[in-house]
Amino acid sequence: MLSRRSLIIQLSTTALVGALATHARSAAAADKTVKIGINLPFTGADAHDAELIKDGALLAIDEANAQGGVAGYKIEVLLLDDGTATAGQYDPAQAATNARKMVADKEVVAAIGPQMSGSGKAMSPILSQGDLATVTPSSTNPDITDPKFAGQYRPKGKAIYFRTVTTDAFQGPNMANYYADVLKVKSVYVLDDSGAYGVGIADTFQAQAEKRGIKVLGRDQLNPKETDYSTTLTKIKSLNPDALYYGGVAQAGVKVVKQASDILPKMIKGGGDGLYGAEILRGAGFPAAEGWYATIAAPNILENPDAAPVIDRFAKKYGQQPENYSITAYDAALVILDAVKRVAASGKEVTRDAVRDAIQTAHVKTLQGEITFDDNGDLRNREISVFRIVKDDKYPPDDVLHQYKYLGVAPQSS
Amino acid sequence: MSDYGVLLQQVVNGLSLGAMYALLALGFTLVYGILELINFAHFNVFMVSSFVGMWALELLGISGQGHVLTGPALAGALVFAFAVTMLAGGVLGVAIERLSLRPLRGVPGTAAMITTIGVSYILFNVILLTVGAGSENYPNPLPVVRWQFGEVTLELKTLLIWGVATALMMTLHLFVNRTRLGKAMRATAQDAEAARMMGVDVDRVIVAAFFLGSALAGAAALIFGLYYNYTSFIIGYTAGLRAFTAAVLGGIGSVPGAMVGGVLIGLIETLGGQLIAVRWTDVIIFSILILVLVFVPTGLFGRAVPTKS
Repeated sequence: MLSRRSLIIQLSTTALVGALATHARSAAAADKTVKIGINLPFTGADAHDAELIKDGALLAIDEANAQGGVAGYKIEVLLLDDGTATAGQYDPAQAATNARKMVADKEVVAAIGPQMSGSGKAMSPILSQGDLATVTPSSTNPDITDPKFAGQYRPKGKAIYFRTVTTDAFQGPNMANYYADVLKVKSVYVLDDSGAYGVGIADTFQAQAEKRGIKVLGRDQLNPKETDYSTTLTKIKSLNPDALYYGGVAQAGVKVVKQASDILPKMIKGGGDGLYGAEILRGAGFPAAEGWYATIAAPNILENPDAAPVIDRFAKKYGQQPENYSITAYDAALVILDAVKRVAASGKEVTRDAVRDAIQTAHVKTLQGEITFDDNGDLRNREISVFRIVKDDKYPPDDVLHQYKYLGVAPQSS
Repeated sequence: MSDYGVLLQQVVNGLSLGAMYALLALGFTLVYGILELINFAHFNVFMVSSFVGMWALELLGISGQGHVLTGPALAGALVFAFAVTMLAGGVLGVAIERLSLRPLRGVPGTAAMITTIGVSYILFNVILLTVGAGSENYPNPLPVVRWQFGEVTLELKTLLIWGVATALMMTLHLFVNRTRLGKAMRATAQDAEAARMMGVDVDRVIVAAFFLGSALAGAAALIFGLYYNYTSFIIGYTAGLRAFTAAVLGGIGSVPGAMVGGVLIGLIETLGGQLIAVRWTDVIIFSILILVLVFVPTGLFGRAVPTKS
């Protein structure tokens, strides 16, 4: 609870920041530039996928600029890295620093990112204080947008954390449904990687699995900096469940995939979108990765015929195939560009507040269909796609588009 | 698997981990025994060596998991990779001593130790910035061969770890106890000043300690890569910290202490993970370390110099 005094201080600071911002904006409007902040973990275990996400967003922005910008505004990018060498992957402390940098840069009117929910949890309260909306193309932890935690993640009330993917409130449970209905799994062992995303998705998976009558034989937590997971995997082998579910990102994921192929060669193994991406294919490689199931918190946009021209342009520009979260990043950029355009068209000044409100009311046609958000910033479309890693020798072994075979949509819980 | 079978399998896993920790712990102990310096650069000498081993294998045309060798070709590839990796590790260790530690020789206090932390960070960031941050799919020329003994699975790579680690530790033991340079090392460890007066070239002894310790880290690094088919710029920290703990547990400065400490830490890690939960591993390891230090402050093998074997 805020004391009256701190409330007054806060209000007056906000007013001051607002006044400064208005001043800066009138200067910026003269040369008609707005900035979009992009925060992704370019350092560490998720760097490859962060690049693919960044490229998706930049493709949309560059294309808009090539057509003369949006409503007369040239779009600039403030690129920030929330991965650190010490963490070896995304680092929430760095993410918080980056959020402050974005808020401090008066020209930044909206942001794209972060990739990881652990960073999202650190950034969201700061962005809320700065009235800066962000659109994440991949972070799926439901707490950040859950109204129950609004006091923690959006202290100023309004939704500022929008997503072009759905959340683990669906990704975990729907995969549990898939385990029960399609893979006929009767017992499972659940692992997570101690990160915000990993723990969250493993929790929601586990809860739904139990509800569906799958016996959860155990749950353990891996230290992502550790290399040896044979202890855990041997323990799982001795319990002999039908399946393993791993909630987490690539840093631990690569090693789980490798070592599980030795110790649990025949077990059904799967995970969430942390197991979907180039990093898993490169780090774990074949044959270890063969047969793993993974999901994404979005429709399988890459197989949508409408996406083909974008995929072509992406491949031509960056020399590699996009993954689905490159496209959700492309969509995130489209959402922001559309918001800027509508604000400008309405004759209002392109301010953070106005852009946020425009994002909130978005009806944007994107590659995954029309995007609209609920009051918390969550996507109204809640489709979870299931993939399986099946080697296709015709393509490079780290080609996400071709090495992940699309199996269908995971069943929604009724 | 029965409870008994799974415990036995965890002992097998623990011995493999322990062998790696032991090789790495020897590097801490050799240097500490002679200089009373904790060499934190050792963490990342291990990490850098694992990349050298990877490049050595790739130089032979072995990459990823698709190039399995057998017979003499396999033996040749392994000998080459071990030779290159150990030599590179050793040379790196000596270079660190020569460039960053020798100028500080005789400076009292913690300057030298802090320097090793700095060197460690330099190595870490050099690899991060030049090689990149991804996980590497470590080349693996070993065929997958498994033997089943009741409920326990033994793999070829497990035997390789045990074999190489045992051979290297025996060699080190003989070297320290049977050669002139080994004798000089023991003398320096007991009393550097007296050894110098007796005509021992102390600088040469120090170089030898760094070379041997770092070469063993090189061997451990290659074993690590072959065993897990993985390396990354971050591997030094956890493995290094566990190995350092092993050296302290065994009694830092003591060669047999490092070996026993390494194996103990490996077993504590796997059996603790099995019986309690893996997320408690560090709590268990460091609690046992503190208990040992409270009751046997010098570690299991005494406050020793490399001689008390």
